[in-house]
Amino acid sequence: MSGLTEQGAAAVGTAAARTKGLRKVYRGTVAVDNVDLEVPTGAVLGMLGPNGSGKTTTIRMLLGLVTPTAGEVELLGQKMPDGAAKALPEVGALVEGPGFYPFLSGRENLLRFGAAEPLLATADIPNAVGTAIERVGLTAAAGRRFRGYSLGMKQRLGLAAALLVPRKFVVLDEPTNGLDPAGTREIRTIIADLHAAGTTVLVSSHLLAEVEATCTHVAVLNQGTVVAQGELSALLEAGSASLLVTTPEATAAVDALRDQRVPARPTPEGVRVDLTATTAPAVVEVLVRAGVPVYEVRKQRTGLEDLFARLTEASSAADLAELDTLITEEAR
Amino acid sequence: MSTLVVRRAPITRVLRSELRMVLRRPRTLIGLGLLALVPVLMGIGIAIATANGEEGGAEGLAALVIGNGMLLPIFALSIAMAMLLPLTGAMLAADALAGESAHGTLRGMLMAPVGRGRLLAVKAFGVASVTLIAVLLMALTGIISGVLLLGGDGMLTASGTSLPFLDALGRVLITALYVTLQVWALAAVALAVSAFTEHPLIVVVVSLGLVIVSGVLAAIPALDWLDPVLVTTSWDAVSEVVRDPIEWGPLVEGGLRALCYLVIGGSIAYSRMLTRDG
Repeated sequence: MSGLTEQGAAAVGTAAARTKGLRKVYRGTVAVDNVDLEVPTGAVLGMLGPNGSGKTTTIRMLLGLVTPTAGEVELLGQKMPDGAAKALPEVGALVEGPGFYPFLSGRENLLRFGAAEPLLATADIPNAVGTAIERVGLTAAAGRRFRGYSLGMKQRLGLAAALLVPRKFVVLDEPTNGLDPAGTREIRTIIADLHAAGTTVLVSSHLLAEVEATCTHVAVLNQGTVVAQGELSALLEAGSASLLVTTPEATAAVDALRDQRVPARPTPEGVRVDLTATTAPAVVEVLVRAGVPVYEVRKQRTGLEDLFARLTEASSAADLAELDTLITEEAR
Repeated sequence: MSTLVVRRAPITRVLRSELRMVLRRPRTLIGLGLLALVPVLMGIGIAIATANGEEGGAEGLAALVIGNGMLLPIFALSIAMAMLLPLTGAMLAADALAGESAHGTLRGMLMAPVGRGRLLAVKAFGVASVTLIAVLLMALTGIISGVLLLGGDGMLTASGTSLPFLDALGRVLITALYVTLQVWALAAVALAVSAFTEHPLIVVVVSLGLVIVSGVLAAIPALDWLDPVLVTTSWDAVSEVVRDPIEWGPLVEGGLRALCYLVIGGSIAYSRMLTRDG
């Protein structure tokens, strides 16, 4: 029974994927440690992190390809890797660069993977393959051998394989690798289409603009752990605790604020006020009382890039912990 | 969420797809072509040697085979069993798991998902089928070139009797099946190695190393006690098929030894596949 009520309940309460205390050690090297990740059903979650931060390892454990050293993984309500036979038919994935047979054409490769798809009826395979090829814009090259494909074409074929069957959950590991700007835009469109159709999407990337443009949620990984996660808007809000004040008397404004122990500094665009210890109305009140003319007050949106830089470059553990609590608090 | 049930693609569909893929691999096709040529080249060589030699001067193999074309496939198969067919089996097994792992295609099958146990079964089926095809192909080109180049529609046995064509055909078939079984045994070991690595070359080297080391150990009299466990011990038994009547004892023993290796290799490959990183 897959009535509306059940779907509704799924949308509210459950996560499409969840990990708890996930840890993976490869020959003494800790690749992933204590990862608690949650991918809400219906979300597009961007997994951000520098190279080697554990994105791909986490994804591989999520898909049951790798057994965790410790911790739990749940995919579509199934414990992984034991529940692979139940969960994976509903999951499409492009992981670690697409793997295909170099001596077969793109179409033949997809026919081969189509034959292994539990949810495809034998008679429907050629059609599904044709549709997927068209969807990723590979029709012209479908008859050529995979050996001769460019990086972008390989990536597109991998995407086609992930989308052979309508999925509940799609995992894309660095989907825009090797794609030209047009290809990147097409990937965004495909992700948006999936989102509109109610599919949960997990995209890993080190390209921030890509994530900012397509995702509803973000998880930031650094050195094998999740340093921040939540809704994109909440994270950006939390990361941008500053106010930009436009005034001709910048020095007076900075002095007045510093008298009240509010951190502020003059910048070319205006006076930037740190909001971690105060609020916007309080700042305006201080300025007005000091007789500083205020033309405009804007909350500054830092953008994902600043946030990412702060999260992943914070050198001391203390910095990191501070940021972490700040962000998770704000996000909730 | 709890409504998800185990769903699998029909196994025959996956097996057919596997066989089609292995038979499209250029390496497989080249290997099959070369193996098919072996009996033909042997036939031509023997025919030339006999034509050049003086009357009654042909020796050994040539003397026996001339006028007994149906012996050619049997000789060709027993010679290929020494190295060419084990090499073929090892190569197929190397590509099946190690090679596909290196290409990332194994991951694709795991994610479909084809269960891990099933995936091993599918891969083993591919290796076994193509090995059988290779052996049957050699038997076929052996029969054709034997009858055409060397003549004769019967078979002179090592016991001095002569068998009619259909009986001779039966002997060729028995040879083919026995050789196939022995190559499968080695391929099972190769598949086990293949489950542990991403480098196909390692699989081929280890498998052929096993054949060579077994041969060396068998040649050392002081190590005779090792013979029962060596994979190559029963390979010579194939010569029993040219006796009349056939001495079944050594063939059955060889078959059982091969089955033991199949079980051992298969079990190791299976236990490794269950935990292998995809």
